[in-house]
Amino acid sequence: MNGQLTTMLSEYLPILIFIGIAGGLALVLVLASLIAGRQKPDSEKLSAYECGFEAFDDARRKFDVRFYLVAILFIIFDLEVAFLFPWAVTLGEIGMFGFWSMVVFLGVLTVGFIYEWKKGALEWE
Amino acid sequence: MAEFWSGYALPGAIIVAQILVIIVPLLGAVAYLTLAERKVIAAIQLRKGPNVVGPFGLLQPIADGVKLLLKETVIPSGANPVVFVIAPMLTFMLSLIAWAAIPFDLGLVLADINVGILYLFAISSLGVYGIIMAGWASNSKYAFLGALRSAAQMVSYEVSIGFVIITVLLCVGSLNLTEIVLAQENMWFFIPLFPMFIIFFVSGLAETNRSPFDLPEGESEIVAGYFVEYSSMSFALFFLGEYANMILVSAMTSVLFLGGWLPPFDVAPFTWIPGPIWFAGKIGLCLFVFLWVRATMPRYRYDQLMRLGWKVFLPFSLFWVVLTAGVLMATGWVPR
Amino acid sequence: MNQEFAASFVLVLPETFLAVAAMALLMLGVFRGEGSARLVSWLAIAALAVTALFLPLAAPGQAAAFGGLFVTDAFAVFMKILILLGTALALVMSIDFNDREQIAQFEYPVLFLFAAVGMMVMISASDLISLYIGLELQSLSLYVVAAFRRDAVKSTEAGLKYFVLGALSSGMLLYGASLIYGFSGATGFADIAEIMIGQAGDPPLGVIFGIVFMVAALAFKVSAAPFHMWTPDVYEGAPTPVTAFFSIAPKIAATALLVRVLIDPFGPLVNQWQQVVIAVAIASMLIGAFAAINQTNIKRLMAYSSIGHIGYALVGLAAGDETGVHGVLIYMAIYLFMNVAAFGVILCMRQQGRMVERIADLSGLSVTRPGIAAALAIAMFSMAGIPPLAGFFGKFYVFQAAIAAGLYTLAVIGVLTSVVAAFYYLRIVKLMYFDEPVEAFDRPAGRTLGIVITGSSLLILLFVVYMAPVVGWAGIAAAALFGG
Repeated sequence: MNGQLTTMLSEYLPILIFIGIAGGLALVLVLASLIAGRQKPDSEKLSAYECGFEAFDDARRKFDVRFYLVAILFIIFDLEVAFLFPWAVTLGEIGMFGFWSMVVFLGVLTVGFIYEWKKGALEWE
Repeated sequence: MAEFWSGYALPGAIIVAQILVIIVPLLGAVAYLTLAERKVIAAIQLRKGPNVVGPFGLLQPIADGVKLLLKETVIPSGANPVVFVIAPMLTFMLSLIAWAAIPFDLGLVLADINVGILYLFAISSLGVYGIIMAGWASNSKYAFLGALRSAAQMVSYEVSIGFVIITVLLCVGSLNLTEIVLAQENMWFFIPLFPMFIIFFVSGLAETNRSPFDLPEGESEIVAGYFVEYSSMSFALFFLGEYANMILVSAMTSVLFLGGWLPPFDVAPFTWIPGPIWFAGKIGLCLFVFLWVRATMPRYRYDQLMRLGWKVFLPFSLFWVVLTAGVLMATGWVPR
Repeated sequence: MNQEFAASFVLVLPETFLAVAAMALLMLGVFRGEGSARLVSWLAIAALAVTALFLPLAAPGQAAAFGGLFVTDAFAVFMKILILLGTALALVMSIDFNDREQIAQFEYPVLFLFAAVGMMVMISASDLISLYIGLELQSLSLYVVAAFRRDAVKSTEAGLKYFVLGALSSGMLLYGASLIYGFSGATGFADIAEIMIGQAGDPPLGVIFGIVFMVAALAFKVSAAPFHMWTPDVYEGAPTPVTAFFSIAPKIAATALLVRVLIDPFGPLVNQWQQVVIAVAIASMLIGAFAAINQTNIKRLMAYSSIGHIGYALVGLAAGDETGVHGVLIYMAIYLFMNVAAFGVILCMRQQGRMVERIADLSGLSVTRPGIAAALAIAMFSMAGIPPLAGFFGKFYVFQAAIAAGLYTLAVIGVLTSVVAAFYYLRIVKLMYFDEPVEAFDRPAGRTLGIVITGSSLLILLFVVYMAPVVGWAGIAAAALFGG
């Protein structure tokens, strides 16, 4: 492995260890409570909470399509942000050409944004 | 053998020690943040707050923790047990590991990675998984609704957070958090980028599901949202995760806009105080605003929340990105 | 650097104009509200016309833009004019139909324009990356228009099927492209060609796999057998003007893309891909001839017919030389008008305010609506390849190229299958002229459809008259591809 890559990867080693420790800590806490707490389950206790009713049916059912819409819009704009990251960092090197390229890109996205706004995709009511 | 000790075991032990130096005070801070919250809100509402356990109620968080530890762990019969148990652990874990990249002072950072802000952004985005998993695995309607609301809310505000980060990056020219702080030596970014600072902080409130954006929990309508079925330590992990995220958002605000560990003025009385203290002070200030907002603001309606995110913050921050880039290009201040 | 980019922008002027026009129309539509469909449609047609005017302006000769991502040459101009013409004609045919079916929305022409931009980029692509971008822009727009009648089960099914299979084929294309990139180290067509010349005798296995994957994916897009499964369902389910559009413009664009990909970067490997193209051509011709016989729905019939036609066009490509590509170009130009005429008539098939699609509904059309019957008869005779109609010359040139290249078996199979196909084309003519009339079709709402049908029928009928310039122009276009 070349040296530069090793150095770069070694910077991530503490993060890896951190993930391990944090995960271990979470596991230990849950297990500790399992051991320390008195476990005495019964069927009423284990049923889903529903304001005193018996649960009518399964909770995994159809839900409002607008949540999908939000998810799709999120993907579009988050990708846009992902494109902006490298652009923002290197703006000094790519100069005016880079700047205007991104302005055009954002302009196209703004057209889409205006469209979805006018179409009511952003309304929640 | 000697090589093993000096080459692997010793550095490894040092890293573990460093991590513990971060985690232990962090968990302490989380514990006392819950107390501070109750005390601050009590003071605003002219009450006393917890004052029975220990002097001024100082032992209250410990009592709460022990109580939760000794409670029974209920896993609902309809739930998907594996996901149900993993979800709070994931939330807790994610709220901790983000701290690996936060610089506490010049050089005082566990992993000085060159894409620090991207790492923070990624980890905070992953937080939504814990919530979705909890809501789905519980197999309860309240939990499911809460998880959906929470996920939609978090992704909506994440977009504006992304744009705000871009404006800061434009002024810095680096993704490294240390360099972001050092770029603020002359002027903290909250002065030139004031609107972005406000948007970031408000979006931070929404990202952490805090009041006035606490609809996912919405006690009066969906009981407690995605963690309605949780009890005992699993519940505590969500709780800890949520408060650790508050501190994290405050830390990000400090790093991005309030000059991180830098003193406000680079002159004698201010420079005597070490950087980490400044940093902690700024985090504390942000946290106080978190609590202050909770005590004074009524909860948003869901359509208002979505409107604010998509129709106000998003276009405005997008406009501000272009404006910032344009001003930097026109004046030739672009960092190289 | 800036000089070069400025020159590049001139070369992409037609595409830029069309894209900007599409976005402007989108804004116009969304601000004017739902009633603006007709206005936006006509403006879109105008935009397509203006784009066609820009084409010769922007591309005087062979030139590459953006560091070789995009080329303009006579081949591209020829194909782009076909695309613009096809898109505009499909839009013209849509306007009245959409109004009457109450699915008129301003997004419809805008999506057509975006698809046209994608197709133009595809035709001019000279890099695997720009190829993919153009292809996806086109495909994504088409998925939506396929499902444009949102409240009809068949239309949504068509859109979904088209989307799922289209995504699959895009995946195959990417897989092939990445293999080619991995084994040649280049994405630009010119660079790949250079590397391939050196290895023409024994190309790396990965490149061959890559070519096969890309040919399979593009066969999907041109709906050549054995990748044709989506075609009948999508053609049947999509609203009829959309079907007309599908059978014209995207097909021509994908054919152009296939030709460019096989000739430009992989020209040196002609021995490697020739067998694949021959196999696909034979399969398409057989499917197009035999599967169509039992169809009762005219749109499904047209789907199989289009599969067959692609088979014939690929016969020309299989020759792999300039004559072959020349044949393909002539074939696609003629195919455009034959399909416009046929679909123009299908759009007239309306009884008591409802669209009908059964072939049996055409029975006795010569008595009830002689004009339409004549137009459809001309289109069918032409598709069957009866001289002196245009379709005959299309087949003539591709078969001639195949024979010149020594592909006798292929040419013989082509002739045999066109005899089989003539059976079902002529059956329609028989139905219209010799069977008992059924209920008459309604009068068309506007005059535009009649003009389109008359015009395209005349073009088919009188091809012999103006044959020389078209053939000559196609010759120039084909020569451009071979560096002539």
